[in-house]
Amino acid sequence: MSTAASSHFVVPASKADPRALRTWRTASVIAGAFCVVVCGAMVVGHFRLGVDNPLKSPQVKALKDKLLAAPEDEPLKRQIRALDLQLRQRYFHQLSLNDAGAWLALAGALMFLLAAKREMSLRKTPPMPMPKQHDAARTARELAVARGAVAAVGALVAAGFAIIGVSITTSVPARQAEVEKIFKAGAAGAVPVVDAATPAEMLANWPSFRGADGSGFTKTDGPPTWDTKTGAGILWKSPVAAQGFNSPIVWRNRVFLSGGDILKREVLCFDAANGKLLWQRAIENVPGAPAKVPEVAEQCGYAAPTMATDGRRVYVMFASGELAALTLDGQPVWSKHFGALKNAYGHATSLAVWQGKVLVQLDQGDSPQSGSKMYAFDGATGKIAWEQRRPAPASWASPIVVEAAGKPQIITISVPWAISYAANDGTELWRAREFDGEITPSPIVAGGFVLLISPSNKMAAVKPDGAGDVSKTHEKWAAEDSIPDVTSPVSNGELVFIANTGGMLTCYDVKDGKKVWEHDLNMEVQSSPGIAGNKLYIFGTKGAAVVLEAGRAFKQLARTEMDDKFFASPAFAGGKLFMRGLKHLYCIGEKGAAAAK
Amino acid sequence: MKEIRNPKAKGRRKSETRRPNHPAPAKTSFSAFDLRPSFGLRISALGLLLLCAFAVCSFAEEAAPAAGRFRFPPPEFESGYKLPDTTTPPARALVMQYVDVAVFLGALGLATWLTLKKRSRRGIVALSVFSLLYFGFYREGCICAIGSIQNVALALFNSGYTVPLTALIFCLAPIVFALVIGRAFCAAVCPHGAIQDLVLVKPVNIPMWLEHALGVLPFVFLGAGLLFAATGSAFLICRYDPFAPMFRMTGSFLMLSIGAVFLIVGMFIGRPFCRFFCPYGALLRVASVVAKWRVRTTPDYCTQCRLCEQSCPFGALNEPSIPATPVVRSDERRRLVRLFLLTPLLVVGIGGVGSLLAGPAAKLHSTVALAEHWLHHQKTPPEYPAMDPDLLRLKRADKDPKQLVSEAAAMRAVFIRNGWLLGGWIGLVIGAKLISLSLRRTRTDYEPDRGACVGCARCFEFCPNELVRRGLMPASAPAPPPAAKT
Repeated sequence: MSTAASSHFVVPASKADPRALRTWRTASVIAGAFCVVVCGAMVVGHFRLGVDNPLKSPQVKALKDKLLAAPEDEPLKRQIRALDLQLRQRYFHQLSLNDAGAWLALAGALMFLLAAKREMSLRKTPPMPMPKQHDAARTARELAVARGAVAAVGALVAAGFAIIGVSITTSVPARQAEVEKIFKAGAAGAVPVVDAATPAEMLANWPSFRGADGSGFTKTDGPPTWDTKTGAGILWKSPVAAQGFNSPIVWRNRVFLSGGDILKREVLCFDAANGKLLWQRAIENVPGAPAKVPEVAEQCGYAAPTMATDGRRVYVMFASGELAALTLDGQPVWSKHFGALKNAYGHATSLAVWQGKVLVQLDQGDSPQSGSKMYAFDGATGKIAWEQRRPAPASWASPIVVEAAGKPQIITISVPWAISYAANDGTELWRAREFDGEITPSPIVAGGFVLLISPSNKMAAVKPDGAGDVSKTHEKWAAEDSIPDVTSPVSNGELVFIANTGGMLTCYDVKDGKKVWEHDLNMEVQSSPGIAGNKLYIFGTKGAAVVLEAGRAFKQLARTEMDDKFFASPAFAGGKLFMRGLKHLYCIGEKGAAAAK
Repeated sequence: MKEIRNPKAKGRRKSETRRPNHPAPAKTSFSAFDLRPSFGLRISALGLLLLCAFAVCSFAEEAAPAAGRFRFPPPEFESGYKLPDTTTPPARALVMQYVDVAVFLGALGLATWLTLKKRSRRGIVALSVFSLLYFGFYREGCICAIGSIQNVALALFNSGYTVPLTALIFCLAPIVFALVIGRAFCAAVCPHGAIQDLVLVKPVNIPMWLEHALGVLPFVFLGAGLLFAATGSAFLICRYDPFAPMFRMTGSFLMLSIGAVFLIVGMFIGRPFCRFFCPYGALLRVASVVAKWRVRTTPDYCTQCRLCEQSCPFGALNEPSIPATPVVRSDERRRLVRLFLLTPLLVVGIGGVGSLLAGPAAKLHSTVALAEHWLHHQKTPPEYPAMDPDLLRLKRADKDPKQLVSEAAAMRAVFIRNGWLLGGWIGLVIGAKLISLSLRRTRTDYEPDRGACVGCARCFEFCPNELVRRGLMPASAPAPPPAAKT
């Protein structure tokens, strides 16, 4: 051990000049106060950023809500734009103030540090060199306390780990065996592995053209009658500004439809409870879109294909070639463009969905070698899940997805083939050569048969359990009276009803194809009929609406003339009927009818 | 110049030891430096509490989407105007990366020369200012040695990742220097250390027990940082770097606030981040224990005047040890044996508790987070699901859900193992710390702690013998003969 020095040391004398001390102290106080003011202003500014954020502004939100109710209100739009601009200007002004504040705070902090350090150095008194009185007991005590403190920190860390570990859980399994268990449970329905609504949910709603299975039939009873003049039975009607022949689809308490022209194609969402327009979203900036919007024949227009939803997203297609997915709140998810479609009347085939995939039957051209295809796109990403070439020219019928012969089948119809595909991978299951003409009526499945219509020619019942060409082996019966050229058949499983453009309504027995009755409705019909419970609904192009009993004898329950024109098909959900006219969207039902669930 | 006589010198008079305007010293302390006026200490304690609160808040903030300035969405143009494509800044040119490495190695060499050879506090301050400007404000705290250990950890455990050469050099060079000459990096090259050193205005000594207790935290942070980096989950050390947002003059409000709190506390408590949080400092602390050429207050003999002890704001000056009686020695040996036996238990015990962290910790891994989101979504689908980036990511990643959940489960198993390792590491640190606090030292002089000394060179300026040795102060009396040093 070194001995303590007994020498004298010389250290610099104090430089504590009172004036200098006072000067530096004043400087440090001023600089410190400056820093506090600048930092305080920045903190206030930080919280103001939240207030001025246009995305969170309650004023903007209130105005946007108003705009939803009145989408054409130009002064309101201008007001929103002005307010948005004002808020953005404030927001970015505040950001630039923050930038300046950061530099000012830095400069102030530097000044403060210089002054404070200088003041401290002036105030500092050289320490008195002095040996320490060694105290072994005190040192031992200090070390003991230090050990205790270290142990306490260890205990605290362990306790913290335990609390976090116990209180925050994860649903991700720790072992592969548990993964297998989850997915087995998923197959049993506990955890579905598809990002889409369950089949039961699909059936409870009206997710695509003529319902989940495209039959136009629901077991739930529909409204008996309504009166356009008095409004009795009409729960609401809302103007539809966008043109389109497509039919409404319903998911829970929202009704979706599309509309458009060469200038703008859009999706509209209405509140099923009151008809309020909830949102309206134009489909824009579609990747791959040609510079000029393809022109489309007037017969079908731009928005003849009915939308579809899988309960997670809604899908829309336009005759100009756009295919898009939106959230149920109208936010774009993905979109793509097929280019100009080769279709003389305009593309009118509706979309279908199956287990999170959106199905597009894209028939085009004049010959079976024109490059028609059946596509399945992943609903979440828009990626192609599978695609199949189709030997078909342009057609206007829509595909249906049904569980038939124990497997999910996509059934399509065109010239000359009706083709069934396996829904999961697009493999062709069977085909039947039956058809000619401009194929517009869509197929349905009823009584164990697929009912296929060759326009104005025949309706054939084909068993869907074959493989390969079943034209000569699986057709059970065919009917040839009053076959429609535009509308699709509808069936309650026992009887099938067809209505042709001239208004002739014919009822056949599904079992053997024998005609049960026919009746001239004396109206032009281009809207496919629908059945809810035991009621058959038919809407005419000039506003007539007829309700019949879906039975073995003709029985008209109601007939009313509405101030509209109908080309779309009715949608049924929650005991209500939703019908799109050229001018309005109608909700028909009894007050207090169960809301769609 | 005024002459001060050693208080122990015989025949001294009290009046000789006091300056005219200087109050009489308290009994056993140096009045000017005894900041027991515990006001400062209370402020510092309050600062630390605030720091912890902010840290908790910042974790909470991570869970919620932050409305950062650069995430402000563009307006929805109806005029057909198309926003220009988003561009990312190009990587730093390779030649400039080599310049960074050269500057870094040069600064390390210079810091070594300034602490060991030149022994210049002024030089260290100048180099600190340069490092703060270059590695801090110019390079915006990136690349930095502290964060680079995560790159190395990720490269070691992930064959798909190659650590950049610059990151490797930034990580290894300070460790190599520490193994040879001590913490030259902390002395004046680290911008984090530099900014804290420069803001130190009125240092307060904190109690030994608190110093040792808080000294455990950097090792915890180190373990956690390496664990998350090795699994490819997150660079936790960078994410919770309190000074990088200051160097960049932008960042989240909370991280900027934490940085400000560190600096305010750092005005009174020397380098609080370096001593109580810095994971890289923990690594260098261990490495520098074996340094051959370590920092000494003076290469000359120690007069035990304690001026160096008072000069060190980091509590890094150890006092000479006190000889113990045989009874005390026997007690100490028994305690040591008990602690050696306790350490494996601590490793296993805290390791077991650490494994409980696997679930929550795994959530930081992108695969696990995605799988959990998916599972949650399946169990409780929202009524109107908004566009969901996570689900989109799942689809874009082209993974089927089973594969995703399976990969997540495998990753969770990795986290269980790593939780054991982290807990075991903390148990080992606690055990080692307890043992080190029970070891009998055989120090004869006041000397800088091998691990804790950051080589700031303050003590050189205070040591009278050093000043005399360097010719900065004349010795008024002849130095004692070497024979006296026994």
